[in-house]
Amino acid sequence: MSKTFESISVGEELGPLELFVSRDQCRNYARTCAMEAPRFMDDEGAKLERLPGMILPGNMSLGLITRLLTDWIGSGPARIARIGATYRVPVQPDHTLTIHGFITHIHPENRSIEIDLWLENEEADRLVTGAATVEFTK
Amino acid sequence: MKENRHLSTILDLHSHSEASEDSRAPVEAYLNWIKLRHAERPLDGIVLTEHRQFNRAADYRALEDKFGVMVLRASEVETNYGHMLVFGVNDDILGRFDFANVRLDAQSLIDGVAAMGGIVVPCHPGRPNIGLYEHYRSKPPLENVVAVEAINGGSRKGEDENSAELIDKFGYSGTGGSDSHMVSLIGLCATRFAADIKTIDDLVRELREGDYEPVDFRPRRKPVPHAVMVETR
Amino acid sequence: MALNYDPEVIGRVFETTDPVEVTAEQINRFCGAIGETNPLYTDEKAAKGGPYGGIVAPPSFAVTFRNGRHFHEHVPRMGRGGFDAGKDIEFAAPIRPGDMITLSSHVKEIYEKTGRSGTMAFVVVRTTLKNQRGEVAAHIDHRFMSRI
Repeated sequence: MSKTFESISVGEELGPLELFVSRDQCRNYARTCAMEAPRFMDDEGAKLERLPGMILPGNMSLGLITRLLTDWIGSGPARIARIGATYRVPVQPDHTLTIHGFITHIHPENRSIEIDLWLENEEADRLVTGAATVEFTK
Repeated sequence: MKENRHLSTILDLHSHSEASEDSRAPVEAYLNWIKLRHAERPLDGIVLTEHRQFNRAADYRALEDKFGVMVLRASEVETNYGHMLVFGVNDDILGRFDFANVRLDAQSLIDGVAAMGGIVVPCHPGRPNIGLYEHYRSKPPLENVVAVEAINGGSRKGEDENSAELIDKFGYSGTGGSDSHMVSLIGLCATRFAADIKTIDDLVRELREGDYEPVDFRPRRKPVPHAVMVETR
Repeated sequence: MALNYDPEVIGRVFETTDPVEVTAEQINRFCGAIGETNPLYTDEKAAKGGPYGGIVAPPSFAVTFRNGRHFHEHVPRMGRGGFDAGKDIEFAAPIRPGDMITLSSHVKEIYEKTGRSGTMAFVVVRTTLKNQRGEVAAHIDHRFMSRI
């Protein structure tokens, strides 16, 4: 990241970050985080829970959204101070997901910025929405 | 479709600030965004429609002066016919209706608010469970509805179409609002009024009797470029 | 029908877990699981020259810690199901390999609203992560939704 706090402006876009998350990757996340509920493992398991098909854990969506920020920050002089996400619609694997971010507010007094974030599917439905605060340490 | 002529005020009639539990958008950030994006979303103002509450003490005049954007206040409440926007909230209305109640009686609300100087506009009527369209399938239509929200910035596929069907069938006027809970989504949908609106009383009068139409500033969908696999090791 | 719960439950810490060790292997696997390639989290040598002086866990690693076995017994059941509706996380001290993390939880808020899914009750549980030095690593607000 070559960004400095002084060079950032409201309205600036982060990404977008396009991802294709497969079923295997979903299962891998679930196993890695000991979250092997049936709805995260296969369609049959999900249907037993009255879902249309296999879904990503909400925490995985949160992790993917956070990647937009960590990619943007890189090894630069900034850190994520806060992130919030609302899981509005179940996210299904084997879909193209796009993560968007926009800088919406700058706080000069503590060198922090606010960023709108959302994850959408191919239909531009916003499946996960959120916001983050990034603090610049220099 | 109304003929194209000079129309005087464009307002986003449905938005949520950080006062609503599911929004983190400060009002100042909304107004700054409107100023920044004025070419794409030429709003004259916004109406804050916080969930299940109305803050009479909130005063945004300093921000209005700073950004040159009007801020009016209303509420979004929950009824037995879905969600509704209440414009022209006053002490009488707050004394009669508990906005924190998620089971308000819609007909009483519509008639009571009108009698006390305000107006109720059912919002996102095409939305499952909390929109008029679905409720009208199993319950009698409400009386004295003047307008409904024709386009909502948070609508999913088919929902605005359901709203359009309702409008056609019952002859309602239509409004537009972003329903934004995030700064960058303010003003995606709005309402264009023929009259000059400067106060909440002006807004209530125009919603009741005036000339207005929904306006859609949502961007056209771009094609999805080649996506990358999430790497796993 | 208003929500029925004991108001005393709000704010009362109902669980503190035993310390759990964070390992470099866990961080590495987690990065793989979300496709995280930032060298601060994945490359020992690069991380040593970075702002944290060594590898740290990516921010969303904070939500991978498991609550106690009896956690859900203490979260008031307000309706059917128990869906993860979202999270709000405040980050403080970075999480490093070798850290011993404990979790402390309390019910922060309970409220009701209606939406596309019908009438829903939300129970917000705040979990605080602390390391072996007593430093807060994160506060996580979990929002659990059930249908009424």
